[in-house]
Amino acid sequence: MMQLSQDLIQRYHDLIETLGPEALKTMLQEMHTIRAFEERAEQLYMQGKVHGTMHLSIGQEATAVGAANAMQEGDYLLNHHRGHGHCMAWSGDPNRMMAEFMGKETGYCRGRGGSMHIADIDANNLGANGIVAGGIPIAVGVGLSIKMRRTSQVCLVIFGDGAANEGAFHESLNMASIWALPIVFLCENNQYAMSMPVEKAFNIENISQRAAAYGLPGLTVDGNDVLAVYSAVSEAAARARRGEGATLVEAKTYRYKGHSKSDKQAYRSREEVRDWQDKRDPILRFTNLLQLAGVIDAAEATQMREHALAIIDAAVAFSEASPDPNIADIMDGVYA
Amino acid sequence: MPVPVIMPKFGFTLESCEIVRWLVNEGDRVRSGDPLCEVTTDKVNMEVEAPEDGIVHQLLYKEGDVVPVTEVICYLLREDEAAAAAPPVQSDAPSAQSAPVATPLARRIAQSNHLDLAAVQGSGRDGKITRRDVEQALQKVRATPAARRLAAEHGIDLAQVQGTGPRGRVQGADVHAALSAPAPAPVATPPEAPAKPLGKRDTQPVPPPSIPEPAERRVVRLEGMRRTIAQRLQKSFQTAPHIFLEATAEMSAVAHLRSVLKARGAKLTVTAVLIKACAWALGKHPTLNATIEDDQISYWHTANIGMAVALEDGLIVPVIHHAERLSLQAIQQEVDRLAELARAGKLTLDQVSGGTFSISNMGMFGVDRFTAIINPPQVAILAVGRIVQQFVPDSEGKPVLKPMLNLMLSADHRVVDGAHAAYFLRDLREALETPAMLVW
Amino acid sequence: MPEVRELTYAEALRECLRQLMEEDERVFLIGEDIGVYGGAFGVTAGLIEQFGAERVIDTPISEAGIAGACIGAALTGMRPIGEIQFMDFVTLSMEQLVLQAAKVRFMFGGKASVPMVLRMPGGSGTGAAAQHSESLENWFVHVPGLKVVMPSTPYDAKGLLRAAVLDNNPVIFVEHKLLYKTKGHVPEEPYIVPLSQSKVVREGEHLTVVATSIMVPRALQAAEELAKEGIELEVIDPRTLKPLDDAPIIESVKKTGRALVVHEAVEMGGFGGEIVARIAASEAFDYLEAPIRRLAGLDIPIPYNRELEYHAVPQVESILREARKLVRGEY
Repeated sequence: MMQLSQDLIQRYHDLIETLGPEALKTMLQEMHTIRAFEERAEQLYMQGKVHGTMHLSIGQEATAVGAANAMQEGDYLLNHHRGHGHCMAWSGDPNRMMAEFMGKETGYCRGRGGSMHIADIDANNLGANGIVAGGIPIAVGVGLSIKMRRTSQVCLVIFGDGAANEGAFHESLNMASIWALPIVFLCENNQYAMSMPVEKAFNIENISQRAAAYGLPGLTVDGNDVLAVYSAVSEAAARARRGEGATLVEAKTYRYKGHSKSDKQAYRSREEVRDWQDKRDPILRFTNLLQLAGVIDAAEATQMREHALAIIDAAVAFSEASPDPNIADIMDGVYA
Repeated sequence: MPVPVIMPKFGFTLESCEIVRWLVNEGDRVRSGDPLCEVTTDKVNMEVEAPEDGIVHQLLYKEGDVVPVTEVICYLLREDEAAAAAPPVQSDAPSAQSAPVATPLARRIAQSNHLDLAAVQGSGRDGKITRRDVEQALQKVRATPAARRLAAEHGIDLAQVQGTGPRGRVQGADVHAALSAPAPAPVATPPEAPAKPLGKRDTQPVPPPSIPEPAERRVVRLEGMRRTIAQRLQKSFQTAPHIFLEATAEMSAVAHLRSVLKARGAKLTVTAVLIKACAWALGKHPTLNATIEDDQISYWHTANIGMAVALEDGLIVPVIHHAERLSLQAIQQEVDRLAELARAGKLTLDQVSGGTFSISNMGMFGVDRFTAIINPPQVAILAVGRIVQQFVPDSEGKPVLKPMLNLMLSADHRVVDGAHAAYFLRDLREALETPAMLVW
Repeated sequence: MPEVRELTYAEALRECLRQLMEEDERVFLIGEDIGVYGGAFGVTAGLIEQFGAERVIDTPISEAGIAGACIGAALTGMRPIGEIQFMDFVTLSMEQLVLQAAKVRFMFGGKASVPMVLRMPGGSGTGAAAQHSESLENWFVHVPGLKVVMPSTPYDAKGLLRAAVLDNNPVIFVEHKLLYKTKGHVPEEPYIVPLSQSKVVREGEHLTVVATSIMVPRALQAAEELAKEGIELEVIDPRTLKPLDDAPIIESVKKTGRALVVHEAVEMGGFGGEIVARIAASEAFDYLEAPIRRLAGLDIPIPYNRELEYHAVPQVESILREARKLVRGEY
């Protein structure tokens, strides 16, 4: 464990220097806040305080935080149903997120979207998508729009390993490639499309290999290494900004929780989950790295967790005090 | 063969009658001309008489039922038929025996559909009610939504309308046709129709079946005369666009005439003068002396003037026929006679029908002025208040106290143009102010 | 007498597209073979020469991609006009249209808007058989958040397309292959035919005929025939199917007492059912003199054989037959 972290320091020496302690600490804090949000979300769910379902990304925080921090203000985000982390890392307000999760009028979508459809249009977060691969063709349109408007924006679209087997993925990567659109396709490979393991769903080692079929660069990184994700997405975004077109980035990570709250997880062993949690947890790894690099000490690390819990406590209090949507407004927002 | 007794069409525009009460029971022996039941129609109570001798067999309708004219209401059996059929049913016989003969299946279907078998005419052997009879009785009238709306608006029973649509469905046009069917003229009254006294019938309080009646109110079914008044006035006000014209007549000359006659022991009421004056003015303005039945307007050559008479619990409008031909004296006599008959409930159907114009005088109640609803199918009615002493300018502009009478004319604007109504009112006033014209 | 300017339906659409693109840089076209080919039915012919390949974008055969590209561009400030080559192929775009375009705004609490138009030609009559002759408009009518427009004349085609592009919602714009070559008066200057305004295209007192798209000219032709027999049809073209302006239809049925709904799409689950239901549930019910009837496509795929194809959907003769029966009280 220690050995691995020292290797990392070697690898990321320059990056740690460039980002500086404040940015690094912010990233770790964000990872803590995401995890606290989702742990509380699960708790609220089990207490019967929210209805419907939810998809937790606990264990995948590095991908969300690494990718979001690699983007610039004005860039666009399209993400997927397991999207709490992406939204929060993309400058999401925990209060409004929690309110949306609890179906309140003060939520990002006035309680109309819920856990699976949180969007922050003002921040160019074009929303989480409940349809596997649903956001990928839209990203093509966003890329096309950026190109036609001649801005320097980039569109980050995050989807799972399951989405890479949808037809929309193939149509979209092809179109993005032929038109050299400023898009970063980030495949968040968490090993399972619901219950379907990637080894059974793909006959290739890395999903990023598919980029070659469309004439795009593709690379695979450790999705539980926040700085690896950050580096890869930064490079892809820079390339897009230079007008060189889209990139497919695959981040290999792991979800600790079931697909949704109704998942008995018969498709994998408890040992497998335990192994990822103990040896490859993204928060533990980044904490060790920052401590070894002297960015934070042990007390600060503990404090970050405490701070995250406090933020989420406040978010729950805010949400519980928020009004439900007015039934008289039920027709709002169907048409512009 | 059993002799059917039908609900007679007593004349006029009569569509249906309500059975007020049965005067016989099933099994009773009756002689030709005996009253079988009392019915009420257009404000008149009538009796249905036995067409021949026989034994009352089936009473097909209950008291309170409204029966379309020409429908069979009961049967009479001859002695030998009665012997062959079920024994004469006693009024105190168990209900099972008095029930009509029906097959078990017909009975079951009727029961599950809450159909009274007494209302079903049997077509089986010996008049036995079969399944087919019950199903036919249950069959609803086929009619388009438009026909149903029109029928409801005009108070028409759809079952009485001949349908020309597919499978006999009643179309809107069929209802229109039924509405515009020419009404029989007053003289079409069947001579054999008994001229029975027109009775004031007590309206029986109907206790609601289960809801306890609050002490604050008395619930009375809308029936008989009250229902007729309600239907006619509602229809009139809904279908005839009323226009109202008002004028004031100076009644000094009439007052003078009355005092002169009174001094000679002769009675002349304002009502009689008004009738004569209206008849005279109608002769000059025949558009107001008319009746309208849907798209058909009849202009009458005689002025049959109805005179509204208030009763204790209603209103009746006896008609002074041929008022234009009658002298003031004859009109006065007729007015007195009809008013007395009305209050005694003894008016005949002839005496309340055939009107072509109406007058409602509420002067005796101290009413100054009011508007009246046209009495359909007429197209105009005159509402008069009491004679009031008012100061009016004389020829030199000085105030003089004069007896003044308010005249309020309601006219059906479909038939009567405003100007015609105005001319009529002008001439009417002239006649009242110069009554010599009426005797000339 | 001044000459009345006439254009074909396809020319009217093209003129509208050109005018919109000249006025507004955000407007662009995207679809299969719409560039130098000019579109499968020639609607976009010549536009790539004027506006270049950047604004008249030929795509690969990727209908989901076309729909998605329109949505993404619309979400980020553009005014895309997509073309689906045959309405049949929109089945490949359904996820993007139904689950994304229609719902984005509502799901996000009314914050985003998707001002896009997707044009597509529907209908049979060209011998194109079952996979190139669909009339699927009611699929979209069933989706809240979408608007559905179906012009029947060159004039309406131009005015409604402009209204659709200026609207801030996703609009499914259904053209008809057989209408492309029909001619009619079209003013040169830009104009709008507002969405959601049904039009009484012919007045009559005996029977209300509600017809869409190609069935409008067919109903009008039937009306001319019937006028010789003394039967006057009132023909109403809803023009926008969703949101539907049903008031003129209800008013008309109150007058005529009879209604016939004619469309090419199959009867079962078709738009006619909606019209019939609106009439039956309205105050017009009390004025009905006959059952409300539908005349629509048979419940079969469109056959190839010319005669079979002809008989698969309503024609002038079948409208005549139904109208006579209704007016003569045979229903």
